Amino acid sequence: MEKVLEVKDLHIHFNAFAGAVKAIRGVNFHLNKGETIAIVGESGSGKSVTTKAVCRILAENAVIDSGTITYEGKDLLAMSNKEFVDIRGNEIGLIFQDPLSALDPVMKIGKQITETLILKQKMPKAEAKARALELMAAVGIPNPEKRYEEYPFQFSGGMRQRIVIAIALASNPKVLICDEPTTALDVTIQSQILDLIKKLQKERDLSVIFITHDLGVVANMADRVYVMYAGKIVEQGTVNEVFYDPKHPYTWALLSSMPGLDTEGKDELEAIPGTPPNMLYPPVGDAFAPRNPYAMKIDFEREPPLFKVSDTHYAATWLLHPDAPKTEMPASLKKRIERQLKEAGELNG
Amino acid sequence: MLKYILKRIAAMVLTLFIILSLSFFAIRLIPGDVAGENAAPEIKAAMEARYHLDKPLGEQYVIFLKNFLSLDFGESMTLYPRRPVFAIIRDKIPTTLMLNIFSLCLTIPVGLFCGIAAALRKNTIVDYAISAMVVFNVSVPSFVFATLLQYIFAYKLGMFPFLLEIEGGFSFSKFWSMILPVLALSFGGIATITRYMRAELFEALNSEYMLLSKSKGLSNVQSTLRHALRNSFIPLCNVIIPMFMNLLGGSMVVENIFGIPGIGSLTSASIQTSDYYLTIAVLFFYSVISLTSMLLVDLSYGIVDPRIRIGGGKVRE
Repeated sequence: MEKVLEVKDLHIHFNAFAGAVKAIRGVNFHLNKGETIAIVGESGSGKSVTTKAVCRILAENAVIDSGTITYEGKDLLAMSNKEFVDIRGNEIGLIFQDPLSALDPVMKIGKQITETLILKQKMPKAEAKARALELMAAVGIPNPEKRYEEYPFQFSGGMRQRIVIAIALASNPKVLICDEPTTALDVTIQSQILDLIKKLQKERDLSVIFITHDLGVVANMADRVYVMYAGKIVEQGTVNEVFYDPKHPYTWALLSSMPGLDTEGKDELEAIPGTPPNMLYPPVGDAFAPRNPYAMKIDFEREPPLFKVSDTHYAATWLLHPDAPKTEMPASLKKRIERQLKEAGELNG
Repeated sequence: MLKYILKRIAAMVLTLFIILSLSFFAIRLIPGDVAGENAAPEIKAAMEARYHLDKPLGEQYVIFLKNFLSLDFGESMTLYPRRPVFAIIRDKIPTTLMLNIFSLCLTIPVGLFCGIAAALRKNTIVDYAISAMVVFNVSVPSFVFATLLQYIFAYKLGMFPFLLEIEGGFSFSKFWSMILPVLALSFGGIATITRYMRAELFEALNSEYMLLSKSKGLSNVQSTLRHALRNSFIPLCNVIIPMFMNLLGGSMVVENIFGIPGIGSLTSASIQTSDYYLTIAVLFFYSVISLTSMLLVDLSYGIVDPRIRIGGGKVRE
């Protein structure tokens, strides 16, 4: 498989008033052509920072300490601003979390879509407009001719997110990064937007990075999953591997805390105890250790490397070390997964 | 929209009436005598009869209101005896207007430039220098500025004349004499615009739509010009439109210091000489200006900001 985008050993810190906040501490991931990967983790785990680094729209106090971001063989971090402006938008599109504030409130929708086409690709106005109308129709805006002349405040949240998607697609990017695109929307609109992204991905052969904390969305959308905690990838694998055979205690905790449609009264949802570590002072060993009921002594002393489970499945936990005592995932989670597998089997069979 | 404007104008008329009444009674509380303390009793009696001052205050008020409604604003009593106050104000406006236009030509571009520079270079030496200037401009009163300018540039250095040249048409020496007063008039406005511009632009620069415009491929310069500036200009109407209205107003302090025969110095002179009708008329003139500019600011939002222009229309439908 051809890798479109690859992030290697990325380290980022923020200069804050209290000191350096080490937000990203060695992140590695790659995106193959045409696939969808999901990066999941709780708030503050560094998901959005990673993608902002890819698009080079980090806040001014952010410093990239080391690492490479390679897009089709070119190192994005080594490029000059001028070179990069051609990649951003043209090659990599970005969809934001909050569509309500992402659009310029005083510019007409149509103009916001055609802006880059006219300014950067020097497309004639009429052609740009035709293309914008086409895009608006493609993302499911009814009556695009009329909506073209309207302002963002005249659109609902879901419609604005569709416009943001249309803007992201305007220059025909190859990679689409969706940073929690449905967080600000209500549930029915969420599924519409997810379906739309899926449909567009198929039609346009996009490679998609999906950032979310919603595991339900991940199961629906992604081919592969990266689980992020405290600025690191702690587990990665295909959707089936991560959902049905999770290895990292943090993934167990995440999955146990997620309600499903099959959650019954007697199943308890488990909250993850404690809070994420203060990244001003990253912990010495495994960052999850203080909240981890399965933590061993070594978890507090040395950081676990990524242990290989299969060719596609890796997890950073000492539990996978050959010398570690054999530890199974929590019984309630295991039962739940078995039930889900059975149901899936019944559905497919 | 029309209904809204009519409503606002009705409210304005009511406010003006209250101001008019208050100023009519308040001016009487100022000690002093129309005829002057040493005037002969006959003269005093004649003046009081002419201006109805011998009648009870209530009756005077009714006569005054009647005249005012028929657009007879009265005559000056002491400052320019027996000249209609309307004519006096009309004659004073051009001088004030000319000075203020020059001042505005300086204020707006300089203010915008400083504000934009400070926002783009926030927390750098540029920003700190501009902020220091703003604090200085806001906190030093204009009469201190005016006297300082006069002391340094006119007295010590002798570069400019002390007073404004009044006679004759427009000439270079007249222009030269305008520079100091124009500077003194502009400092406050520059600080106001700079402060607003910096705050609004900084907020716009950190907005989500700036991230979007960058992520869709616009360069930093393009996003700033097309999105951030555009958005930050809207709230700026709030400060700039009243400045245009105040072109007519003039500054009491600066006009007095530089001997400018404008509306500002007229105001202070008329109060000092107990020129009742002239004072009331000048106060009324100022009230009309500021109320109109408030109305214009509110209406301008409806024109500049599509959210109000179109959104407002929707609500009424």
